[in-house]
Amino acid sequence: MKQFSLALMAIFTLLSFTACDDDSDDGSMTDPTFGSIEIEFDNVIGSNDDQRGFGLSEVGSTDYSYSNGMEQNFNVTLLRYFVSNVRLEGEDGLVYEDETLVDAVNSKGYYLIDEADGSSQTVTLENVPTGEYDRIVFTLGVDSSGVLEGAAGGVLDPATNHMFWNWNAGYVALKFEGQSDVSVGGAFGETVDQDTPNGIVYHLGGWKEVDGAPAFTNNVREISLDFDSHAHVAAEEVPRVHLEFDVESIFKGPGGDIDFTGNNNVHRPVDGSNAIDNVVAAFRFDHIHE
Amino acid sequence: MRNASVLLCLIAIFILGCGQDEPVTPQDLFAFNQPEHFPPPAYDLENDPITRAGVELGIKLFNDPRLSADRSVACSNCHAQAVAFADPQHRLSQGVNDATGTRNAPQITNLVFMSEFFWDGGVSHLDFVPINALESPVEMGNTLAEAVDFLQSDSDYPALFRAAFGTDTITSGLMLKAFSQFTNLLVSDRSKYDDVVLGRNNASFTADELAGKQLFDQHCSSCHTPPLFTSQGYANNGLDSTFTDEGRAAISGNPLDLGKFRIPSLRNVARTAPYMHDGRMATLPATLQHYNDGIIQSPTLAPELQSGIPLTPTEQEQIIDFLNTLTDWEFMSDERFN
Repeated sequence: MKQFSLALMAIFTLLSFTACDDDSDDGSMTDPTFGSIEIEFDNVIGSNDDQRGFGLSEVGSTDYSYSNGMEQNFNVTLLRYFVSNVRLEGEDGLVYEDETLVDAVNSKGYYLIDEADGSSQTVTLENVPTGEYDRIVFTLGVDSSGVLEGAAGGVLDPATNHMFWNWNAGYVALKFEGQSDVSVGGAFGETVDQDTPNGIVYHLGGWKEVDGAPAFTNNVREISLDFDSHAHVAAEEVPRVHLEFDVESIFKGPGGDIDFTGNNNVHRPVDGSNAIDNVVAAFRFDHIHE
Repeated sequence: MRNASVLLCLIAIFILGCGQDEPVTPQDLFAFNQPEHFPPPAYDLENDPITRAGVELGIKLFNDPRLSADRSVACSNCHAQAVAFADPQHRLSQGVNDATGTRNAPQITNLVFMSEFFWDGGVSHLDFVPINALESPVEMGNTLAEAVDFLQSDSDYPALFRAAFGTDTITSGLMLKAFSQFTNLLVSDRSKYDDVVLGRNNASFTADELAGKQLFDQHCSSCHTPPLFTSQGYANNGLDSTFTDEGRAAISGNPLDLGKFRIPSLRNVARTAPYMHDGRMATLPATLQHYNDGIIQSPTLAPELQSGIPLTPTEQEQIIDFLNTLTDWEFMSDERFN
């Protein structure tokens, strides 16, 4: 009888290992048909043919180096934005979609580009199928699928990212803060507050429409940029795609001029829609390092 | 006999091995049970499965004043189980540094079925609800980051997070998920009303309760819609003609929402005085009297209330008799929640 039990236990042990086994190692980490690619988000000033360097100023600085479309001068004390749903497209239907995942501890596929943190400005995509890519598509902000996951970790953690709106709960897509000599002040954010002279604050976001609630609007936008040459992803090569974001163009472009003498303290989705239209057009492809 | 029990154990282990068809265990006390007459949950429970360890952690957090800036205010200060997790004492919520809020702390029952929260509906996911209380300068006055730092440095919490979530590295997300596990379990569905509706415990309404129910169905249920006794909408119920608190309009940006507030659930309403968004009504009779002859006209007044709700004193008493059947004593004494 005892031997019968042991035999049964052995069979059972075998069964219990196989019954739930759905793990499999696809070996993609070492598969030569996959490679990596780096995407650099470079915040700059000016158009391609008149490009100048960009940097943050201290709060209180009266050095206003940049100007909007109305020749009003400004500086920048904070610039931060979310990029997500990154997709690469190539010839013959070649597509790589960066996976997005949200849980209470981590988030994957969401990138917080922060001018104050150089390492945040390069997004590295791994396990990208080998091939020639000639377009990048990404989302500016965090769309409904990210918000509706609820409590989130990683760069979506509201305790650390300072990009969450407690009321109208959702994530700010882009935070701009700075000062302009024509602003009357009174704007409030992370770096400037009501007492900061000449503060300008544009917290742009909004992820849904709500019937009868004009304060809400969906400002999540997809941005598509064509490369002028192929990005060649291969096992041994890591191409680096250099994208640029013209900070001055937040305030001019298809959404119209933003006038710092009024409307200098934006915190609601609906109030930021015109600036978002400008922001979408302010991204551009620059070049690829192979 | 001994071998038979070994065999039984093996079979039991085998069944448990794949996480299906688990036998009844104490864990099930902490499972979400869908009341058959309620709508399905608005919360995606698969996203935050309720466990005993998670709920117990949520309760400890809920009762811990050290999460507030001056370590004086816990969630439970304004949300007491004995009164269905409403505020038993204060017309307006009382926060850190003796700050007084602008609204009455509502009961937090049956939130798992709801998709918008607070008197103005500004938050649309239950996980994010505690952030506002934690960070409001007139409530707990803290920051999420400092609350997480406190939990991480505490001698007890890391082990409790490990028990609940398998890690003692505390994040705001895990804290919020623990809160949600607790609040998702706060289902009030064991009142006399529920017994009658479901034919449980041989329950039946008295003549006055039944008369009250008929009056309620006629005059009140379009906004306080069963079974949750709220349509989950927003309404101006004629309290004011000018609005120091804009209510829903502050969130929606729509002037047509001026002075509208979320229609509160009337479950346990006999226990959740005072009433209205600012707690101005002390009693149920005063509230019914307001609907009878106290409605103040304004452009956004609910159309149903244009002429008030004329009710005789007897009819008002009958409605209150009916409302008393919504009191869920088992819920308020449920030992899982304390």
